[in-house]
Amino acid sequence: MNKKRLTPTAAAALCSAIALASIVFSGLLLEGRARADTAGILDSEPFTSTDGRQIYEHVCRGCHMANAGGAIGAGRFPALTKNPALGSRQYMALTILMGRRNMPAFGAKYAVGFGGPPVILNEAQIAAVINYVRTNFGNHYTDPITAAQVGALDRSPH
Amino acid sequence: MTEKSGTALSRRQLLTMIGVSAGATAMYQAMHSLGFAAESKFQGPIRLSGAPKGASVLVLGAGIAGLVAAYELRNAGYQVQVLEYNARAGGRNWTLRGGDRYAELGGETQECRFDPELYINPGPWRLPYHHRGMLSYCKRLGVALEPFVQINYNAYLHSRKAFGGKPQRLRAVQADYDGHVAELLAKATRNHALDAEVTAEDQAILLSSLRSSGALDSNYRFVKGPDSSERRGFERDPGGGLSARPAFSEPIALSDLLRSGLWAALSFGALYDMQTTMFQPVGGMGQVGQAFARELAPLIRYNAKVVDIHQDERGVSATFEDISAGSSRQTVRADWCVCTIPLSILGQIPMNVGASMARAIAAVPYCTGLKVGLQFKRRFWEEDEQIYGGITYTDLPIGQISYPSSRFFADGKGVLLGAYIWDMRNSMDFTSMTPAERVSKAVEYGSQIHPQYSKEFDNGIAVAWHRVPSAMGCFGLWSDAARAEHYDNLCAFDGRIVLAGEHASYMPAWQEGAVTSALDAIDRLQERALAGAAA
Repeated sequence: MNKKRLTPTAAAALCSAIALASIVFSGLLLEGRARADTAGILDSEPFTSTDGRQIYEHVCRGCHMANAGGAIGAGRFPALTKNPALGSRQYMALTILMGRRNMPAFGAKYAVGFGGPPVILNEAQIAAVINYVRTNFGNHYTDPITAAQVGALDRSPH
Repeated sequence: MTEKSGTALSRRQLLTMIGVSAGATAMYQAMHSLGFAAESKFQGPIRLSGAPKGASVLVLGAGIAGLVAAYELRNAGYQVQVLEYNARAGGRNWTLRGGDRYAELGGETQECRFDPELYINPGPWRLPYHHRGMLSYCKRLGVALEPFVQINYNAYLHSRKAFGGKPQRLRAVQADYDGHVAELLAKATRNHALDAEVTAEDQAILLSSLRSSGALDSNYRFVKGPDSSERRGFERDPGGGLSARPAFSEPIALSDLLRSGLWAALSFGALYDMQTTMFQPVGGMGQVGQAFARELAPLIRYNAKVVDIHQDERGVSATFEDISAGSSRQTVRADWCVCTIPLSILGQIPMNVGASMARAIAAVPYCTGLKVGLQFKRRFWEEDEQIYGGITYTDLPIGQISYPSSRFFADGKGVLLGAYIWDMRNSMDFTSMTPAERVSKAVEYGSQIHPQYSKEFDNGIAVAWHRVPSAMGCFGLWSDAARAEHYDNLCAFDGRIVLAGEHASYMPAWQEGAVTSALDAIDRLQERALAGAAA
């Protein structure tokens, strides 16, 4: 497995390549993956909600904040409002799947756990949280992404 | 005496457990893949020969790696400047005590309201006996150390799904696991199931050893009686006078023990990094950073947010904003740069290094760990439950509760580590909460183990490492694949810049990784500086 993390140019190139290709939606979701051995007795339940708001509030909000405004310290967590990167739902999907710098990957192929399994979001969950972010916090995008489209991005060669 | 967890064990799980010290093996493998079980490469104090005349070094970051680098380079005669984002030295080496204010990303400020002499270490909190670099600097800098209690046989193992949610003493779970496994192995031996593997002579020795290791009776059984109670504790302790006669305790049945899952926590104290004796600085881990700061006081520029790093063939410039004074920009310059800024932040700072180092910097996500410190009105864990230091492990999202290793039997209030969460599922969830919610949740969960919580809770403070402005993450979370591809590129000199820190080590999260990476980096810096001066 190629574990390269996403760079902006790679993501842009990939998005355009995928946009040009005709994509066959498989509709299959990778549910019920085997969980890695847990360290100790901690019971780290998989995150199963498919509600975009729930996913945002339990997984994303820690860094991107309650108002999606991000934060600035010695570095920054990007705001998910007034952010042109949100214009590309594919870019968002790939960022969530593959991670970016200190943002962990959430795709099953890329996620790294510690002290238990990583948090893995499936295609439906990733689509849900993208669509939630792109239609809240002052964002008004009208082109939702589907779980199948996320799945196709995940399976595309990169 | 127990509720069934309802989870049937797979054959593989059973076999794994029957293996000697199976939990430790599995744990070791998991930790090893993350680089955890690595031995310190510290070889005693570094002896850099004299610096080339007038040579200068810029150290970015005054955490343990930056402080070690600055201290040794200064001692060798280099002109050293240190830039630090925080208003204090130490980085993740940090102690919060009463009166401290801490503002996290997102704007929430907490004030620590602990009583005098009580504290919490939001970051590192214990030093293994073999982390000789850290121990050596503590000694050289006059930082007093005291024992850190990692293993306490009277602390608990707890699972909501086992024994009706009633916490079990580590002592009992350990004794019963050892006893049952020894009995099974003794049975197998006496039934000649091991004849192919073990000679008759060795079988006799094996049986003796199993009696010893498992506290078996003369019939090789692990049963209620004097042998087992001497390990797991008594129903009624032996005493003196007419009330002297002890009552033996009943071991947990094998099946209940296996299905409880509590055996998975037995191996922690066997891990190389957790073996007794461990140490902690008297008065908090932050004493180390403070001691370095006293040594290096005039060299450290605080409140300096680095915004640009640029090297050319003659030296390295760093531009920073003074965040205490209206963000005015200044630039400092030196011949060399030791950059210890966490990768979570460094990846966002413009720096002209080659593609291989740049890719390495971007390849490492950060652990989402967090801790919650809770002050209680009295040390009920000591007074009511005879728990003096050590750690209770639980399947609750708080992960563990750690009892203070100092001030035993003290009157007045006491501070617990009420949550130390590093699994990603729960730590992301807790990071997403407000600080007050994190404290409240830690109290709510902890009261399932210690009912005294609700009556005795006083106040608390929560530090989620992704919300710490100077770190924006807990520590570098290397995957095996990323390490194979990028680690050497991360550590190699790029022109006049070299990186150091726990992220540039095989000991992620441990301060010893920061120490040894800094020493390795400045050793190579010295070679280059001397070669350049001679050329």
